[in-house]
Amino acid sequence: MKEKSILTVPLLSPAWKKIAFLFFPLPVILVIGMAIAQMDIDPNEGAEIIYGFWAIGFAMLNLTKEKDEDEMIKSFRLQAFQTGFYWLIWGLGAIMLINYYRFGNISSEIFSAYLVLFLLNAYIYGAFQYQKYMAAKDIK
Amino acid sequence: MKNSIKVERAKLNLTQQDLADLISVSRQTINSIEAGKYVPSTVLALKIAQVFKVPMEEIFELEESD
Repeated sequence: MKEKSILTVPLLSPAWKKIAFLFFPLPVILVIGMAIAQMDIDPNEGAEIIYGFWAIGFAMLNLTKEKDEDEMIKSFRLQAFQTGFYWLIWGLGAIMLINYYRFGNISSEIFSAYLVLFLLNAYIYGAFQYQKYMAAKDIK
Repeated sequence: MKNSIKVERAKLNLTQQDLADLISVSRQTINSIEAGKYVPSTVLALKIAQVFKVPMEEIFELEESD
């Protein structure tokens, strides 16, 4: 099937990787700065800020073109998104079970949209890097 | 899926990088195909066959596990 325009995912140019990596130390500095400035933020709020920034950072890395964006890399990216969702579902299931056995309920305060987005994008990134590592291993 | 890309490359005295440049993919992709780690699409397989000027089925061969 030829790609329909509605299904096309535009990828960022490789230069965006540098910007994406800024999103990892930035929230930590921000939260420390807010604590020093005694802005009286909730500890959970600090964690949410960090998760949110890291989710954006990983999402940008996942949607940034590689130097050689050929069909193997495209297939790795597709597989990474599939594997990322798979790990997220099982990971969340595991946390819910642990929560159930420890506290008697399956929902928890730790589940937030920021955390889930961070975990999903981190898993996708991990799956993508793993495939690239395996392909580069034993290169002759 | 087995393939004889390495043999065909040797016949034409092409490096992995040369072949990669000819079909617009990375050298890593050629290496992965040769090692059987990655199965190319039909389009890429046809491009490879075109470089070597042989039918695709002479380069790629199905295995029992396929």
